[in-house]
Amino acid sequence: MAHRVDHEYDYLFKIVLIGDSGVGKTNILSRFTRNEFCLESKSTIGVEFATRTLQVEGKTVKAQIWDTAGQERYRAITSAYYRGAVGALMVYDITKRQTFDNVQRWLRELRDHADSNIVIMMAGNKSDLNHLRAVTEEDGQALAEREGLSFLETSALEATNIEKAFQTILTEIYHIISKKALAAQEAAASTAIPGQGTTINVTDTSGNTKRGCCST
Amino acid sequence: MQDMNLYTIRAVPFADVRSIRRHTPAFGWQYIIVVLSSGLAFPPLYFYNGGVREFVATVKQHVVLLRSAEHANVFLVNDFQNPLQRTLSSLELPRAVSLSIVPSTPVSGGESASQENGERTDVDVLDGSPSIRQFYRRERQKVHDPARDISMQLLEKFSLVTKFAREATSQLFWETPSNAFSLFERGSSNLSAIDSSQKPRDDVLELPVPVPPDPLELDKLSLAWGKPRQPPLGLEEWATFLDSEGRVVDSKALRKRIFYGGVEHKLRKEVWEILLGYQSYESTYAEKEYQRSNRKTEYEIIKNQWQSISPEQEKRFTKFRERKGLIEKDVVRTDRSISFYGGDGNANLSFLHNVLLTYSFYNFDLGYCQGMSDLLSPILFVMEDESESFWCFVALMERLGPNFNRDQNGMHSQLFALSKLVELLDAPLHNYFKQKDCLNYFICFRWILLQFKRELEYDQTMRLWEVLWTHHLSEHLHLYVCVALLKRYRGKIIGEQMEFDTLLKFINELSGHIDIDVTLRDAEALCLCAGENGSACIPPGTPPSLPREDGFLFNSELDDTVL
Repeated sequence: MAHRVDHEYDYLFKIVLIGDSGVGKTNILSRFTRNEFCLESKSTIGVEFATRTLQVEGKTVKAQIWDTAGQERYRAITSAYYRGAVGALMVYDITKRQTFDNVQRWLRELRDHADSNIVIMMAGNKSDLNHLRAVTEEDGQALAEREGLSFLETSALEATNIEKAFQTILTEIYHIISKKALAAQEAAASTAIPGQGTTINVTDTSGNTKRGCCST
Repeated sequence: MQDMNLYTIRAVPFADVRSIRRHTPAFGWQYIIVVLSSGLAFPPLYFYNGGVREFVATVKQHVVLLRSAEHANVFLVNDFQNPLQRTLSSLELPRAVSLSIVPSTPVSGGESASQENGERTDVDVLDGSPSIRQFYRRERQKVHDPARDISMQLLEKFSLVTKFAREATSQLFWETPSNAFSLFERGSSNLSAIDSSQKPRDDVLELPVPVPPDPLELDKLSLAWGKPRQPPLGLEEWATFLDSEGRVVDSKALRKRIFYGGVEHKLRKEVWEILLGYQSYESTYAEKEYQRSNRKTEYEIIKNQWQSISPEQEKRFTKFRERKGLIEKDVVRTDRSISFYGGDGNANLSFLHNVLLTYSFYNFDLGYCQGMSDLLSPILFVMEDESESFWCFVALMERLGPNFNRDQNGMHSQLFALSKLVELLDAPLHNYFKQKDCLNYFICFRWILLQFKRELEYDQTMRLWEVLWTHHLSEHLHLYVCVALLKRYRGKIIGEQMEFDTLLKFINELSGHIDIDVTLRDAEALCLCAGENGSACIPPGTPPSLPREDGFLFNSELDDTVL
């Protein structure tokens, strides 16, 4: 089957997409993984994910991007959603102030459910709709700085900054993991904890290993 | 010599058949033409008294019949060109595999007679046709008499109750059993095979992991317990269910009839209103009309509650703005590929919007939740009327509302019941999910939340829903549908050692590839076979059961815990 063709990779990183309903999470996902965009794509029900393999600083990284419903109501099933995630792209819609105001709630959600070392990037999506803008880029930038997040304005429709957003997250994760690996190597020689040696093989069968990489 | 043969009725193994072309002219005799894989076509086989449709239906029970994309009257036999079908054929589907792997043995003339005789509609499913013979070929060497067939059925039921694992057809390919009893013993403890083979999945190309046998082989079970699907209920037949004033005389018989075939589209409006409970079975035409007009007034009153909110008031009404915003976002992305909802400025989108917003006022506590627009869409499509759609949606939400509860308890109770049912009907699969930490059944979340709306084509969704709404056999047939699908793919799931994420992806990607008729038949068989043990897996009050005032409660203990 198609989903098991590409298994040549050095790392597998799970990244979750979060943000209010209708901010464009699904289209960001489809733009990044399939280079597709659909104005009338259906609302996401339950949990879905797609993958794309790309190069990050010379390493082959398989990014597994998870997408879920934005409505708060479905948070009950999200425990499985955040499990093992090492990155998050938190999305708001620059034309809808409310979705920006809710960013704080999403941050809290991440703090409650995700690994504390999760790499978070904030994306102000729909930058193509500049004429309808309700959140200035400066507001976004300021919030990101305050919360210590990376930030970009994106447009899934025009394919602006989507690639860059994921590259940024993936690179940051890679740096953290390399540092951990290095630290582990130095401190190690001891038992076979995840991450011995120079390469951490974070395969998609080992959620725990991934968590280990970031939190230990 | 070859030509002579062409005009002789003789047995043909299905493995050699490429397609069957059906000719059912309005006037004149019906006939079929059988085309072999070699390209050779038989001369027309005439059915002097009709029966072509039944013939095709019967054939369908035994082989995979696909309607040709080019020609509606051509049915491809075991056509595995399509990747999904090919995948299916690699599973342990006995009928498909036996046909492609077992060397084709022409069956004896006596058996073929039943196939050639177009009149046969009610074939004894266990002892009917050549392909079945082939399918049971290995067993039939020992097993031949009809009495044995009955005992086989009993055995199947018995094996379920006692949780004895039964030989799976896959076993035929892993090892050749010497006697039947060793199979029973092996079945129950076969899970160790999985534990020992924790190879990295990436190496997996084929199916290297022995799949523990299915205690209830789905195909055999369906043949033994599931009835063939019928054509949808049409106008003429519908009239026979009504008295002169329009009351349904025998609601049970009607529900049963719909269970087995669904309803023709033009009848849906009338029938859905009754199935959903918006109109009652006992109402006359006049009473229904009266109800319609009353309800229309009532709808307008509720609708007016939000329509009368001024922009100034709206500014100060966050909750309302939020709901309206959510609904607006979802309406424009609900089934836009269907022409009924397609295009810009489509009035049906405003109807969707109005009904949803009105509902969020009617049931303010529940409000609007994503997914509701999916549930409303087919209803509006059928009703083509705002008020009627609203009240049918209200009736549907009486049952499915708990799916959207804030605490998700409706979903959790269904997912829990599903896990119990899988445990009952396929213990090895249950153990596999347990091992992979998938017992929460989140993988089936969308199936249940939206009653397969996102998994099926639009018309198939409508067909499934009307069948589910009959509540014939069980109010929870949808859970058996879930089990049926999981069982259908168990070989692939276990064989490829799917983890939660791959499993989720696999399940999500089944969308659009589900044959609802086959699945319903499987589900019916599973439901019948599970019997009371199945019902016992489903806690009282589990949606879509109504909140309990009219539920029949037979377990006072459970009653107490709820109180």
